[in-house]
Amino acid sequence: MTSETGFDVRKYDRFPTEGSRPDGELEQLEAAWCGPRRPGEWITAINNNIIGVYYVGAAMLFFVLAGVLALLMRTQLALPMTGFLPQETYNQIFTMHGTVMMFLFAVPAVEALGVLLLPQMLGARDLPFPRLGAYAFWAYLIGGLAFFCSLFFGLAPDGGWFMYPPLTGMTYSPGINADFWLLGIGFIEISAIAGAIEIIVGVLKTRAPGMTLDKLPVFPWAMLIFACMIIIAFPSVILATLLLELERALGWPFFDPLKGGDPMLWQHLFWFFGHPEVYIIFLPAAGAMSTIIPAMARTRLVGQPLVVMAMLATGFISFGVWAHHMFTTGMPQISINYFSAASMAVSVPAGVQVFAWIATIAAGKMRFSTPGLFAVGGLIIFVMGGLTGVMVAMVPFDWQAHDSYFIVAHLHYVLIGGMVFPMFAAIYYWLPMSSVRPLSERMGKWIFWLMFAGHNIAFMPMHLTGLMGMPRRVYTYLPGRGWDLPNFISTIGAFLFGLAVLLWVIDMIRNFRPFGPREAGNIHDGPGLEWLPSGYYSVRSVPVVKSLYPLWEQKGLAKEVEEGRWFLPGAAGGERQTLVTSPLNAEPQYVLRLPRPSPWHVFGAVFTAGFFLILTIQAYAVAVVSGVLAIYCIMRWCWFLDAPHNRKTTDIGAGIRMPNYVSGPSSHGWWAMVIVLIVGGMVCLLAGFSYVFLWSRRPDLWQASPAMASLMLHLGVLALAGLCAAVAPRMLRRARTGAETLATALLVVSAVGAATAVGLELRAWWSAGLKPDATSQGAAVFALLGWAGAFAGIGVLMGLYILLRRAFGRLSADRPSTVDLIGLFLAYTAGQAAMVLLLIRLFPGAGP
Amino acid sequence: MAVGLGLAACADKGGASRDLAGADAAEGLRLVRTHGCGACHAIPGVAWPRGRTGGSLAGVAARPMIAGRLPNQPAVMAAFVRDAPSLLPDTGMPPMRLSEAEARDIAAYLYTLDDD
Amino acid sequence: MLGGWPPPVLDPAGPFAGPVTMVAWVLFVMGAVVLAVVLIALGVALFGPRKWKRRVGGERLVWIGGLAFPVVVLTGLLIYGLSVTARVSDAPRDGEMRVRITGEMWWWRVAYLDGQGRETVQDANEVHIPVGRPVVIELESADVIHSLWVPRLGGKTDMIPGRRNFMRLQADRPGVYAGQCAEYCGGPHALMGFVVVAHADADFEAWRARQAASAAPSALPGAGVFSASGCGACHTIRGTEANGLAGPDLTHVGSRQTLGAGILPNNQGTMAGWIADSQGIKPGNRMPSYPVLTGRELRDLAAYLDSLK
Repeated sequence: MTSETGFDVRKYDRFPTEGSRPDGELEQLEAAWCGPRRPGEWITAINNNIIGVYYVGAAMLFFVLAGVLALLMRTQLALPMTGFLPQETYNQIFTMHGTVMMFLFAVPAVEALGVLLLPQMLGARDLPFPRLGAYAFWAYLIGGLAFFCSLFFGLAPDGGWFMYPPLTGMTYSPGINADFWLLGIGFIEISAIAGAIEIIVGVLKTRAPGMTLDKLPVFPWAMLIFACMIIIAFPSVILATLLLELERALGWPFFDPLKGGDPMLWQHLFWFFGHPEVYIIFLPAAGAMSTIIPAMARTRLVGQPLVVMAMLATGFISFGVWAHHMFTTGMPQISINYFSAASMAVSVPAGVQVFAWIATIAAGKMRFSTPGLFAVGGLIIFVMGGLTGVMVAMVPFDWQAHDSYFIVAHLHYVLIGGMVFPMFAAIYYWLPMSSVRPLSERMGKWIFWLMFAGHNIAFMPMHLTGLMGMPRRVYTYLPGRGWDLPNFISTIGAFLFGLAVLLWVIDMIRNFRPFGPREAGNIHDGPGLEWLPSGYYSVRSVPVVKSLYPLWEQKGLAKEVEEGRWFLPGAAGGERQTLVTSPLNAEPQYVLRLPRPSPWHVFGAVFTAGFFLILTIQAYAVAVVSGVLAIYCIMRWCWFLDAPHNRKTTDIGAGIRMPNYVSGPSSHGWWAMVIVLIVGGMVCLLAGFSYVFLWSRRPDLWQASPAMASLMLHLGVLALAGLCAAVAPRMLRRARTGAETLATALLVVSAVGAATAVGLELRAWWSAGLKPDATSQGAAVFALLGWAGAFAGIGVLMGLYILLRRAFGRLSADRPSTVDLIGLFLAYTAGQAAMVLLLIRLFPGAGP
Repeated sequence: MAVGLGLAACADKGGASRDLAGADAAEGLRLVRTHGCGACHAIPGVAWPRGRTGGSLAGVAARPMIAGRLPNQPAVMAAFVRDAPSLLPDTGMPPMRLSEAEARDIAAYLYTLDDD
Repeated sequence: MLGGWPPPVLDPAGPFAGPVTMVAWVLFVMGAVVLAVVLIALGVALFGPRKWKRRVGGERLVWIGGLAFPVVVLTGLLIYGLSVTARVSDAPRDGEMRVRITGEMWWWRVAYLDGQGRETVQDANEVHIPVGRPVVIELESADVIHSLWVPRLGGKTDMIPGRRNFMRLQADRPGVYAGQCAEYCGGPHALMGFVVVAHADADFEAWRARQAASAAPSALPGAGVFSASGCGACHTIRGTEANGLAGPDLTHVGSRQTLGAGILPNNQGTMAGWIADSQGIKPGNRMPSYPVLTGRELRDLAAYLDSLK
């Protein structure tokens, strides 16, 4: 086998090492990774074993809260024209139910599962950016709770979870309710993307040596695809929420047809996110199913490569089906046909996975303990949801079913079968990994059967209610249409489901004991690395992985791992470390020093949440203060990054030494920055699409662009900015005297240059008479320039940061990462601004 | 019909005389629904609407007066349901497009409403 | 007969609904068969004898059940679906009767168009069509997105501000067909109903002639109440000075099937109840309640409006 990195894989044969480990090695490891000792440290903790448990817990809290909202709605709809909930309250509750379930439960829940499980599954000590993960968690928890509490003040959004304008515009939703939605979603965008960065870099760069991609278990595969989909899909909702907020706050007409906007733009942007979102939720859950079913059947997953291919295919196709939510909007026939075909195609990979699970069950012998029950139950429910999914992909049928209770039934079958049941299977399966006691099997079976029955009693009749003509999102219905009985049955089912969840909460209270000295452990005889004996440091030593099912097929592994006879058995220098490996073949590359707990990310999260929430209640001055504090806290946290090392290399076992520091494309920081820039680029690309889309709707409103000479000047400035950013890292590496100063100066020039160019461009358009609140062109041009300008603004903050680092002597030629990453960001900023300028100046030509 | 008679029999307890013999309270309820009497009155047995303009009819059978002004007798009730302004010129209740028999059915239903 | 049974989607009353119902039945049969196949395979996998399990427990099942089988079924369905789509939705042609329906929060403005596309007759919350002939409906919105859905006559189509969509309605038998707004439009969206009334040809022409006429001058006392109370600020009654445009045209309100956009039967009693307490009956709708009218005024007003046949 050829090596990817030049690492000689024959060195793997030196393991497991012989002889006893040095005295005090384990104690040093435990000291470096020790858990919280004082109460405050439970808050500043960043270890994934702690944050992951919090994260799953918070997601399940939101599941319960949104479930309570569902019960309120079902109570209202049990009988026709009841007055249990007033109209406005019901409209807020159904909006919150959907929003909380999708954004505060489903996405964070699977992400949380990833944070909790991935390091152990991959044989890493922690995720590569633990503090970022903790920051994302706190921003999500604080923001989510505050967002939820808007219900208690009657300020919750009431425009439906997909918030179609113009209903959600200022004219028809003048209150701050809609702003709560838009800004509340801001947190989820932040935490989802932060989590995605963690997961992509974690899966690609921190796998145990030897865990080549073909030995990567299905769950991390699913999480990898999940994270990539977030990177592609979330920019769309980021942009949509930005545009709607700009329209609401400043009157920029993106969606207002009177000034050239189009409500359909929102629908395209929202569903370009919204449909992949469904698979974003489903794929990790499917990955969990593909892990749990083989474990419960005690056999290998049948057709593992097919399952992985199917997940990849799902990821790809899901970006081509968004408009099937829009079959009734009067789209052209040709588009309808395409989206109908794509929507059917996307069910094929789901079928592959379902039959792989069935084949696996047949190949082994299924155990009907609780995780197995939830897995099989989820499979059945998901298949039924998939079948109604094929039905609504048939356009003529969708014209009838769309926006009726048939859809309510369909989506709950898909999401509950495809995500909630697998989530419960996962909780029952993996909980012994984090808890001293497992959950009760007896209770678990009761919970399963109640939930399975409750689900079908609640949602099966809704297919019929829909065919009987009952539309979705109605706070009540008239008697005499035959809708009474099926609605009443649905309500009974919903309460049975609620009872099941209540029993589960009781079971959790009785048996869930996390952070104990010794977990219940591998009671299901699972095959993955996550079942190795572990502490806060994850595994004692990182084994070479030679199989997809290491605990089944590598005999004696657990004992060798616990004796420290594999890689990285200690904590050299008392530091928290993990091994960074190459993305394809997982060959060791360097030792990554991980951060320790600190309060700055917590403060950063508090102030970030504060900024958004205070902005929503329109106390602008306070919001700005909070925002500045958030930036300060985040800079403070970054300040200690890229710090000097005492030693250049670490012995990772068997005399193999690896560097402690790497810069450039093989470093984890470089990967993270590239992912951030992909997110930025996607937002910009979609903003460009919006610009062209708005033009196509009302070309008559388009005015001529400013004089071409100014374009040349601005592009020239941007080229200079890009050049400075590109050469700064090279200058630093020359390591002459003054190299740090030169690099700093270049970066500052680049940032200022980019900001200047964008500013000049804005002024040119303003002088040419284009106003952002007058026409869709104005809105689109200023939004694009605003996006480019925001990057330049962040670039200026980075320039300030690098100046400070230079001033305090925290830059050095032998640790170029800070300069590398800021250079990369600024080069991208200049390039992005140049593309924006070219688009708005040259398309569609010089006006009508 | 048997149900109607049974209901009419019940109505007797509320002080109604034999004037409504043969009237069908179940048919009366159906007419109450199709004519939308609920637009002005909250009426037990009608889920919606539960209008507030004309006052609730819960317990109307046990009230001494119709609309506070007329004696609560079956014949008066049937006439009032059909053409209130002819009995009370100031009433807000418009004449309803009902036959005499239909009005008696409705009155029969109203006389089943004997407790609040 | 039980209300709502048979389900309207499965009880088509016109050529734009019939093929869709056929599609629905095909899909239900497909769904039942596939579900049965999956459940049988799962049953064998879970409880089957070892010999059967061995046949199911391999990659072959994934290839056949997960890939080949769905591809064949879906391709067939897709071709069938696309052909029905093309048949049911066809661009409007010249010479077809046209009606413009504008969604408003939370009612429907209806206008019958002549050959040049000019609005002739105004109406609200119901559309009258001749039996057996397709009628092109132009769908527009005055405020937010609505969606017109008459399940027994066909699928729904959205009304989007700044755009004009089309659909066709056709009923094969005279009758009244219930419809409803299907796209959440805020507030009392749940109470935004609609009816389609299909007439035999001759009846339709008579109805249209009646509808085109202005209201005759009325000596009823309610006419005075109407103008004195300022109802004309929002409502038009052709032939009188009332010319408001915010609310429904009331020229022939007495002849309508329903009040409050498909939610109340229409008679003097419900009219009085609606005027006095429209906010109690349909909370959040744009018409204020008028509790200030005396009983007699209210009654007179209801009688006047009821007389506008």
